[in-house]
Amino acid sequence: MKQIQNCKSLAIGLTALFALTLPVQASASFEDDKDKDKKEDEVEPVAEKDKDQYFLVHNADIYTGTGTVLRSASLLSKNGKIVKIGYDIEAPGRDYFKGIPEAEREFRLRSLDAQGMRVYPGIVAINSSGLPGTNGDFRDSVDPFSENMVLGLSTGITTTGVGRSAVKLKRYVSYEEPLPYDFDGIVLSDKTYASLSWTTSSSRRDAREKMSAARDYLNAYRTWQEEVKKDKELAEPEKKGVDSTYLEVLTGETYARFRAADRASLLGIARFAQEFGFRPIIIGCREGWIVADELGRAGAMAIVTARERRDKDERLSAEGGSSIENAAILTKAGVQVAIIPGSNGVDLGGIAGQDIMHLPVEVGFAIRGGLSEELAMASISTVPARMMGISDRVGTLEVGKDCDLIVTDGDLLHYQTFVQYTVVDGQLVYDKEEELYFAHIRPRPEKEIAPEEALDAGENPPETKKVEEEEEEDEEGDDEDKPKDKEEGDDDK
Amino acid sequence: MKRIIPVSLLLGAALALSTPAMATSQVAVAGQSAVQNASMKAPLAAPGVPGGRGLAIKTAKALTVPLEGQQFIDGAVILIKDGLIEAVGTAAETPIPIGYEVLDVGDRWVSPGMVELHAHIAGTFDINDTVYLTNPGVRASVSVRPGDRKMMMGLAGGVTTILFIPGSGANIGGQGVLLKIGLEDYESMLIRDPGSMKLAQAGNPERWTINPGRSFMNWNTRNTLERGVAYAKRFEKDQEKGTKRPKRDLQFEVIRALYNNEAQISTHTQIYQVANMTLTMVAEELGLPVFIDHGTFNAYRVAPRAVELGVNAILGPRNVDVPTPGMMGWAGTNPERIQGVAAGYQERGMKMIGFNTDSPVIPQEELSLQAAIAVKYGFEDSELQTIRGLTIIPAKTAGIDHLVGSIEVGKHADLLITTGDPVDPRSCVERIFTEGKTVYDTSMERQRW
Repeated sequence: MKQIQNCKSLAIGLTALFALTLPVQASASFEDDKDKDKKEDEVEPVAEKDKDQYFLVHNADIYTGTGTVLRSASLLSKNGKIVKIGYDIEAPGRDYFKGIPEAEREFRLRSLDAQGMRVYPGIVAINSSGLPGTNGDFRDSVDPFSENMVLGLSTGITTTGVGRSAVKLKRYVSYEEPLPYDFDGIVLSDKTYASLSWTTSSSRRDAREKMSAARDYLNAYRTWQEEVKKDKELAEPEKKGVDSTYLEVLTGETYARFRAADRASLLGIARFAQEFGFRPIIIGCREGWIVADELGRAGAMAIVTARERRDKDERLSAEGGSSIENAAILTKAGVQVAIIPGSNGVDLGGIAGQDIMHLPVEVGFAIRGGLSEELAMASISTVPARMMGISDRVGTLEVGKDCDLIVTDGDLLHYQTFVQYTVVDGQLVYDKEEELYFAHIRPRPEKEIAPEEALDAGENPPETKKVEEEEEEDEEGDDEDKPKDKEEGDDDK
Repeated sequence: MKRIIPVSLLLGAALALSTPAMATSQVAVAGQSAVQNASMKAPLAAPGVPGGRGLAIKTAKALTVPLEGQQFIDGAVILIKDGLIEAVGTAAETPIPIGYEVLDVGDRWVSPGMVELHAHIAGTFDINDTVYLTNPGVRASVSVRPGDRKMMMGLAGGVTTILFIPGSGANIGGQGVLLKIGLEDYESMLIRDPGSMKLAQAGNPERWTINPGRSFMNWNTRNTLERGVAYAKRFEKDQEKGTKRPKRDLQFEVIRALYNNEAQISTHTQIYQVANMTLTMVAEELGLPVFIDHGTFNAYRVAPRAVELGVNAILGPRNVDVPTPGMMGWAGTNPERIQGVAAGYQERGMKMIGFNTDSPVIPQEELSLQAAIAVKYGFEDSELQTIRGLTIIPAKTAGIDHLVGSIEVGKHADLLITTGDPVDPRSCVERIFTEGKTVYDTSMERQRW
């Protein structure tokens, strides 16, 4: 426990910097910390550690989602939160868990060698159906044994929007003694958006009237807040008849989400949002590419399907219909874009490539239309997290955020890539080789069993390790010297 | 934001080709072409098309994909003259003749146009005539509508050749027609009519008027085919003897084409038992040229037998066989494993594997995605089997590999210029040539796909 706290000062950025510029210095300071820890470890009572759970992934190229990529780096999480990302990170040794049954140790401390693999933040699917279990209110219908949940995790999805909620795909993980399933813990937010309708003239009028009422109330309330200081008996303005959803939108507690496709509706929503000063999220946004600048100015965000197809009305001369370039054009105009596939459930009909299990493929089509690879990644991680107001917890890999990550055997957006492992809240919840679905396809080569100390350096007393490193350095030094001698000798001849 | 430039495709192509010429070609070449241009009074034919001067395409990577041998050339030059490929090779071994327009596509890749053997989108949708259960006389060619919007979307996805076939409402839906996409009229689009005879087994025709069962449908189909073969034999005999003028039977003319190996049967067949029935009845007993079309669910188990009988498989639109017990023909031997269909054939020794979309079931422009999905689910792609499965293998299967399907000397210049691997959904098709003519160009019009 203390081990971790002492090293907390090594924030991710710093660690990266050290690793790139001053690797010697970084590892030296780490050794100092470790010496101190060892003594404290010995006296720490077992009881305090009872609930601690560590997860270490090492040797991986870590795509943090913040623009930083760390090569052959490690990531450590404790109790579901990321505590360190960088280099020379060690998890507590096996001795740390003295007194805990052997069967439980693997659950308490999991170490994953991801050599040659990539680590990405877990995918955030802003909209899906049926992933956490059956459809409907998730609290009543979540199924931690669901096949769809496993298939969602196999895609790399760790968080998804279901109705107005943002939930984690938290699978039931057990070891010898089953732990109670944390039904409430899977919910990140149950107020991710407010649904407003802009489809008919009456719904538009209704939205405008309610928004006006909410704005008037807020203005009256703020005036009252000032004036009540002078006149303490002044009555609070009446809240009756004011729709609280609209208040939430105006106070920025949640985003208003509209479903709209044609450019006239999109322009209407942009004007509406600008007039009342809120940022709309538009789902669909088919003709967004035509009015992208207007949407950008209104601070709109969009949820699009890259492969949406709708022919232009040939009788009209104006631009219309869908465009493969939609996501690219929208982002260029400053509209943040999240991407969902055409079918938002798991499709086991045999036609692959269209459903939620192929979200990275859908993103590929946005790239085809000109979206950059980086923004494409953001469209299934940081942007949807932001839209749902949960970006403080998921969407990127940063110290302090939830340890929701995926380990892939290559570029996540390449069609051949498989998710090898999925981790949610620091727990390994999916392993391709352990599930029968895809284990037979390009099986992961079995690793040579390395000596234990190399796998988990924390198990050894620091002294021993230091000596080994010195020896290695000496050997390297020798190797370097020898050829030099030879060269000199050659020159003489 | 790009806007549609109101210039016709033809004129656009001419502009696109002549502008870069000034920048890329050498001074001497440019001078000479100017003289040539001045001397011509008729409207200029674009370089590469019949009547125009030659076109040389320089590219970082050309996926030539012949059926055998070297599959790609890095740093390649492709010479196009009169709509045909005149030469292809590395820049060093392929000198560009004087007077040729040079199109340097830089780091873009060049690959052959894709060949789709299962399309229903080249025209009107009245291609599912079900008055009778077998309709070998019906022709899809009557429905063709050049410039059909869905077909042109498919073109933007890189599909330059299609087999436009009747639906699967009846056992024998009629005759398909092989077409080139992007050309102006039916006559220039036509490659071969009949392109195929469409046979549909089990599944869909079971919904025909009186809900026939598989045994009856098999008998009825076999009866039709056998009568057709008998007609073909009699016709040939009469022709050989020359004593009697052969009597034509329009119903069976297409079977005579099959008998003479001038067309193939494209068989809507899927599920092991049904596909096996196709092999027995059509390939083994009647010896007619046939290929498996669809071939999905667990039909991959017929692969060894299909290889033996020389029957190719053009797979899709389903790409995986999933463990869902309620599904049609589920055999229950694959309890919890998601089996890639193409991988299933490949693992059992089949090499001649192509892909289809059954457009509009899967939109035509997503043909290349079918190959990508196959790879995802276990299809081995170390020798560009994906690209070949989209080009030369379907071309060979339809017997038009002497015309299209690879970048080889003498074949049609049907070429795609892409930003990378044509199978990767992230790669964009930027420009397409059909028989040397630019039929799609994202620098002249909005990117369609």
